[in-house]
Amino acid sequence: MINEILQAIIFPGVLFTIAMGFLFDWLDRKTAARMQGRIGPKITGPSGILQPLADFLKLLFKEEIIPSHADRVIFLFAPALYFLAPLLSMLFIPIIGPTPLAGFEFDLLAILFLLAYAAFVVTILSYSSASSFTTIATGRLVLQYVSYEIPLVLAIITAALYSRSLSVEGIVASQSTLWNILVMPFAFGVYIIALMAELEKPPFDIPSAKTEIVAGWLTEFSGRALSFLKLTKEVGYVFGSALAVSLFLGGGLGPEVAAVPPPVLYFVYFMVKLLLVGFLIFVLKTALARIKIGQATELFWKILTPVSLAQIAFVLVLIQGGVLVAT
Amino acid sequence: MTEDKPPRKEESAGLMKYSAENLVPFGPIHPALKEPEYFKLVLEGEKIVEVIPRIGYVHRGLEKAAESRPWVQNMYMFERTCGICSFVHSLTYGQAVEGLTIYEIPRRAKFIRTIIAELERIHSHLLWVGLMGHWAGFETLFMWVWRDREVVLDLVEAISGNRIHKSMNAFCGVRRDMPEGMEDRIVERMKFLVDRANYYKGIVDTEETMLERTEDIGRVSAETAEKLCAVGPMARYVGLRRDIRLNDPYAAYDEVPFDIVTSKEGDVHALLKLRLDEMIVAANMVSYAVKHLPEGPIRIKIPPVIPAGEHSSHSEAPRGEIFYYVKSSGGRTPDRVKSRQPTMANLPTALEILKGQTIADVPVVLTAIDPCFGCMDRMSFLDIESNRQWTWSGEELRRYGINYYFPERMKMR
Amino acid sequence: MPRRRAGAAIPEMFRTMLEKPSTRAYPYQKVELPARFRGKLDIDPERCTGCQVCAMVCPAGVITMIDIGTRKVGDKELPVKRPVFELSTCIFCGECVDNCAFKALEMTKQFELATPHKEDLTMRKALTK
Repeated sequence: MINEILQAIIFPGVLFTIAMGFLFDWLDRKTAARMQGRIGPKITGPSGILQPLADFLKLLFKEEIIPSHADRVIFLFAPALYFLAPLLSMLFIPIIGPTPLAGFEFDLLAILFLLAYAAFVVTILSYSSASSFTTIATGRLVLQYVSYEIPLVLAIITAALYSRSLSVEGIVASQSTLWNILVMPFAFGVYIIALMAELEKPPFDIPSAKTEIVAGWLTEFSGRALSFLKLTKEVGYVFGSALAVSLFLGGGLGPEVAAVPPPVLYFVYFMVKLLLVGFLIFVLKTALARIKIGQATELFWKILTPVSLAQIAFVLVLIQGGVLVAT
Repeated sequence: MTEDKPPRKEESAGLMKYSAENLVPFGPIHPALKEPEYFKLVLEGEKIVEVIPRIGYVHRGLEKAAESRPWVQNMYMFERTCGICSFVHSLTYGQAVEGLTIYEIPRRAKFIRTIIAELERIHSHLLWVGLMGHWAGFETLFMWVWRDREVVLDLVEAISGNRIHKSMNAFCGVRRDMPEGMEDRIVERMKFLVDRANYYKGIVDTEETMLERTEDIGRVSAETAEKLCAVGPMARYVGLRRDIRLNDPYAAYDEVPFDIVTSKEGDVHALLKLRLDEMIVAANMVSYAVKHLPEGPIRIKIPPVIPAGEHSSHSEAPRGEIFYYVKSSGGRTPDRVKSRQPTMANLPTALEILKGQTIADVPVVLTAIDPCFGCMDRMSFLDIESNRQWTWSGEELRRYGINYYFPERMKMR
Repeated sequence: MPRRRAGAAIPEMFRTMLEKPSTRAYPYQKVELPARFRGKLDIDPERCTGCQVCAMVCPAGVITMIDIGTRKVGDKELPVKRPVFELSTCIFCGECVDNCAFKALEMTKQFELATPHKEDLTMRKALTK
């Protein structure tokens, strides 16, 4: 019992997830900087690896300002509610072994629910601060959410259909011979693009476009709330990549090495894949300019939704024809 | 005072038509504006139906200050009108003052002026392309372009001793000669910049997301642009062949071969390519001028008293036409100096373009004119609703002031 | 017409990643300045004659002349003046250096002038003599 509680709190639970969030933030900043010919974080810790943590702590101690016209209750509590979403979702991802910390038979549905929950919380959060910038940001946020939600869910469903399981554990286990990405490359692509929209990374940083609407829905937040909102975005980044690894890249499965104990090996494989997916997003986000909300909606509805439907049809044909059936 | 005096408080009258919810303030402090200027955007959803500018936040009283300073000191003050195209301000002011004197400017000085002015054009255009990337959310382009801009700034620093405020101009000449042995370095660096400009042209032509942000944005017809007196790249991107360097050569522009670039497309994408093309032209001009630099003196020292008279001068700044007017009564200080900056001339066009665009395009379109509000804020009037622009004499202004505050006094007369 | 594609900058991005970063870690890594760099103003009190030309040309009003004594020319008592520099308003144009007939002024390479005390930027060097 003690062991499980420790696992949930420290490794691979909450604290590990938060640490990964900081690591992703640092990697994001460092790689983007190097690709743009800059140095990036440098001073705090070796190569500035502690910079995200330093930023987080600094914001924690800053004054918190609540706008007079804001809805105080939502404004104060919604950041905490938002913070829960990716943190909880991470518990359904198997990290140090084929069994996740809190997995159950239909946990993929729970993940889908948490995705919708996060979008909902962020919307009321944004609306509660009631300034012109956040009002526009809310509109964009909702529009972006209804745009990327369908392709994102379709991509996840494709993996679930093929693996004939609604639990992340089952989907990972079904990929021991063939990774899902080889069967459904388009679903993976759609998932990554939709994920970038969910994380508001360029080219989909429309609801928080800093040159248009200041900081978007983050505009009125300061101090603790801002530090946790920023951390939540990073943890969401980790969770999104981890889900991609579990659904399409076979989780921590890989060739066995005799000398290394299986949990360590599983963890190493998982981390390598996680960082690769993270890196893919870093590259895409650095290489693209921000598009407009209408163009984003068009992209998701007119291109990516038909693509993911076609991918589902293809997978169904494979299953019906018995050409490739997941083990 | 004439009968057709403008309506009082026209700005607030224009605002009454719209409810507060539709108004989104853009500025005066806004991440997309590097200088304080205020635009009230009237929105319908994401679409802009009206833009109401409120200019004057960085009015510094330069023209008035000039009247109490000696001629030479004004040279440095006008150089600080703008933090980007600083040289061309002192050049134009210098030319206007030189017009009042009898001295001939040495040919070598003219060439050096051309070199510095063109280096400044490259630096300003690179800055603009970078900002365009930044405002379209393309940080990588921004970082790369500004990295390459350092090349120009290093050259300028080696020639003049400072990166931005070169302090190179003097009346009838320049203050510093070109350093020894710089020729090869400049030519080589210019070649590098031409390569980079060609690469960036490729990027803005092929990068899908960048094209989606710039193509078909900021369209304006040649007639509208001409009617609203667009200058510089804003005139050239709709196909008007307007360039003071060509139309009324100054410095050594009649001796350095070049051709101006115009475009027919008339959108922001065309502006991007136009400015990069202009940069290539400028780089070639610098290389040519450095290779064909004539020998001779660089400066004639002139007495601090400028003969009486009035003179005006204009030149092509990176952003468009700059105009200076000076009046002297033969003293140590000017009687009047008037300067008109390209941003002022281009703002009506930009506001016209903004109507009908979405809010996501505001930074892009406002940037498209390469605004420099610090340059722009002078005493001048702009009526947005009728697109009428006018200036008043001192007497008219005084009467307007009395009428504004004490209308009953005017009625009594 | 070139082919439109998303991610046209990616090859160049990886090339840049392998290169040395072009930014310099400034306070830890100093930059070399060009020969003509115009930094903080400096005066050689030995050479200054108090002729006031620098004060007349300075566009920023950095230089004020202060009487430090008198001298006799013929049967007249004339004030002896020396400049005081308010460097916080200096715009580094170098006009005073150009106009100094006695080569008493020069622009050094020093440019890190930030200070918590404004008085540090008032140069009274010429008064001491």
